[in-house]
Parts: sequence; structure tokens; C-alpha cells
Amino acid sequence: MVSENEIIAYLKQQLGEDLIEASKPRERRVFARIKPTALRKAVNAMKRQYQTLRFMTISVVDHGLDFEFLYHFHVDGAVVTVRSEKRKEDNTLESIVDIIPAANFIEREIGELFGIKLVNHPNPQYLILTKDWPDDKRPLRRPLEGELPKQARPVAEALISTSCVAPISAFMQKKREEAGLPKTPPFAFTDEKAMQEFHGIMKDTSLAKKAGFDWKKKRLRHK
Amino acid sequence: MVKYASFLGCQIPMRIPSIEIASRKVFEKIGLEAVDLLGYSCCPEPVISRLLDKTAWLAVSARNLALAEELGLDLMTLCNGCYETLVETNEVLKQEPEELHKINEILKPYGKEYAGKVKVKHAVEVLYEEIGVDKIKQHVVNPQRIRVALHYGCHMYREPEGGDINRKPNMMKELTRVTGVEIVDYGIERLCCGYPSMQADEEFSLKQRLLLKLKRIKEAGADAVVLSCPACTIQFEIGQIMLKQYGVQYRIPCINLMELMAISFGVPSKDLHLEFHKSPVLQLAQKMEAT
Repeated sequence: MVSENEIIAYLKQQLGEDLIEASKPRERRVFARIKPTALRKAVNAMKRQYQTLRFMTISVVDHGLDFEFLYHFHVDGAVVTVRSEKRKEDNTLESIVDIIPAANFIEREIGELFGIKLVNHPNPQYLILTKDWPDDKRPLRRPLEGELPKQARPVAEALISTSCVAPISAFMQKKREEAGLPKTPPFAFTDEKAMQEFHGIMKDTSLAKKAGFDWKKKRLRHK
Repeated sequence: MVKYASFLGCQIPMRIPSIEIASRKVFEKIGLEAVDLLGYSCCPEPVISRLLDKTAWLAVSARNLALAEELGLDLMTLCNGCYETLVETNEVLKQEPEELHKINEILKPYGKEYAGKVKVKHAVEVLYEEIGVDKIKQHVVNPQRIRVALHYGCHMYREPEGGDINRKPNMMKELTRVTGVEIVDYGIERLCCGYPSMQADEEFSLKQRLLLKLKRIKEAGADAVVLSCPACTIQFEIGQIMLKQYGVQYRIPCINLMELMAISFGVPSKDLHLEFHKSPVLQLAQKMEAT
């Protein structure tokens, strides 16, 4: 019987850096967190290695800002879950039906109940909902929202992007100068190195992620 | 000379810089050297960031504390919110070595480390304990004959467990009295101004917190409210404007202790740029100068 550690070692060897972490929380249970782009690679590897592999199902969790996809497999008495997260703005799921035909119906359910676009599915038709079901009212889809209440978002956005909860306007800079003060106080945002430190801390902890901060756009992903 | 690293926070320099101007003038007169903390960030604010990610809250705060430690100075802040964050995180980092180690691991790649050597004080404590009421009194050349109500702000009551929560409010009361004003009691000094609840329920914040205070302050016959916290000042000033939508009109000047002290020291109100206020502080100051 293949052991949990052997399964983890195999996934590590096959996925390399695409495997973010793997654990065995209890006997005959394995969790592997992977990069979303490595989903088909992981499924292919599992199928290639384990002759008795049985696809169980796919679970989807709508976390508000991200979807988490959990692919459950049965391997020689052990349940192996391969999980990955994708931003909801991406809103696609790559089909594995060509590798695992049994995933056909559950992928269709996911597509229609969460409003996720299936990529390369052989028959992406509704399975449960009526054909005239409105696109913007998917039964299991939550709005694009993180943990922060609406009123707290501007403060969080200002803090993460500028290191200050009360960003200074050009008007205030002018008024400060008129009042004989430096244009800005010696805040981190006035010093490139200090700002790199501050942003580094934000990236190394989970505040920015929980707030749903988009580092490229330098603002929250939701208003 | 008493010397501290000065932590200005966000709200004072960005929203009400007249408090910064006044404090610089007051510190200079009383011989308190306040060294600007270069490259500091938000403390960070003690509500959202702490609830969202305590580790980030500690790490950002520890970075600020480390900046003061690099200068070999203790830290002084004028803002109650910054005081709460910096004191609380400092306590955690000093009392929990594992937490300090974890936070220093986060700071390490950026060449920062906090050894836990810094003391954090509110400016009120520094003025009262290290300069002293008697010395401050010597600088009062223009004692004010107005009646004021005090709003200390919730974080001013923060003390280590078992400590006297009225310690700093009493200091603030004494320091206010030095300026010559008459302090009127209105009975609900400890009630929150409603600033934090603005983010959850604006109507509750204005009607069930701020309005109750304004009514009692007015009934007590105060000419102005004296505050030490910039966030409370914003709530009192903007709140009075917002209350108009509920048919309630108040125009009580909301002056910071440092501004009041500077005026009593003879600093002309025009030099303080009190026009940054959203309540009639400038008019109050001009009235005080005229008498």
C-alpha cells in the first residue's frame, strides 16, 4: 500500500516549485496546495503514477475575492486533495475531462452554479439550471468582497499603498509650505528605501492579501 | 534637555498641521527636543490593521519602534491612536520573546531589528512628568479666561493592567489648567466621541455618541472643547457639520491642548494656522487674543 509520505514525495518530485505545500493531517489523508497553472500537470501526474486512482469529486469554495478549487482523489485507501486558488476576476476553470472523463458533470455544475467559464470542456451546457437563468445571479456565487467592511476599505487601501491612512493632497502640501512646515512630514512614502521596507512587510504578512490589495494597480480589488 | 523621537502619526501632519506647528513651538519654548522620525509609517492604525492581521500590525509598529531605537531615543507621540498601537505592540514585543523573534525575522531582510529598548510615551506624559507643570507655567504670558470642557479620548485611559486609568487624563487636566482656563465638568468625559463607530454606523456614531457629548458640553457652558487626539478632533469637527443633516446645529470650537498652550505662551494665532480646523478655533483664538 502506497504511504502518505510516498504520495507527497512523488508530488514534490513531479511538480517541483509548482507544489506550494503538502501535508498529511491524519492517517490516509493528504493535502497538496499547488499553483493554479499546474492543475492539469498534477492531475496527469497522479493518473500516470497510480493505476488504482479514482476521481471522487471537485469542491469549490467562494472565499469572496478568490475561488478555491479542491480536487479529491482516492489512491490506494488514501484520500488525496489537490487544492489551488484563483482570483475571481480570472473566472475560468480549465477542464480536466480529457484526462478524467468522470469530471464532466461536476465541472458543468461548477460552471453554472458559480458562474465560472469552463475552458476546453467538451460540453459546457447547463446541467441543473434552466437555459434562461440570468448570468448575474448564480446560486453559489458570492459578491466580489473580502473581509473588510465597505467603510474600512479606503483606510486599508491608503495604508497599504502609501504607508499612511491619511494621504496628503497637493493642496495640503501647499498649505503646509505656506505655514512654514516641510511640504510633507518625513513619512516612509517620501523615501524610496523606507517605502520598500514597508511594502516588503506588507507582502511578507497577510494584511494586503486579506484586504484584497492589487499590487499592480496599487489599489484594492474591490471598492 | 529632554530629548525624544517624535512620532507625528498620519492625522496631525496631513489633516490638522496646526497641531504640529503648535507642538513644535511649545516644545521649543519649554526645552523639549523632538527629533523627527525619518521614514516612519502609520503606527499602524489600531482598529482595521490589528483585526485584519495582528502579525502585520506588530511588524509595522516594530519597524517604527526600531527607527527610534536606531536614534537611541525613546518615542513620544501626540496622537492617542498612535499611542495605543505603539504602547501595546511594545508591550507584546517586550513580554513575548517568541513574538519578538517572529517579528524580527520579518524585519531582518530589510536590515531592521527591534531589541525592545524603547519606551513609548504620550506627549502629555512627557510634558507633565519630565518638564513639569511649574516650569510650563513660567511660559504662560497670556492666560486664557475661557471655560473649556475636556475630551481626553478613549486611548488616553490605556494603562498596564492594574494601573490607574485616570493617570494621563489627570495630567492632561493639570496641563490644561496651566493655561489659565476654567475647566467645566459635563459628566460624560469618558464616553467615546464615536470616531471608530463611524466606519460601521454613521448615524449611531453621530447621534448616540457625539451628539450626547455636544449637548452636555453646551449645557455645562463651555466655550470650547480641548482635545489631545486628532481622530477625536476630526470626529468632533466633521461630526458637527454632519449633524446638520439631522437638524442639529452646533459650532463648538475644538482646540488641541498644544494649540491652547501655544496661545497661552503668547504665540500669535496667525502663526499657528488654525484655519486648518473645521470648527471655529481661529475665531476663538482671535477672541482670546482680543481680551
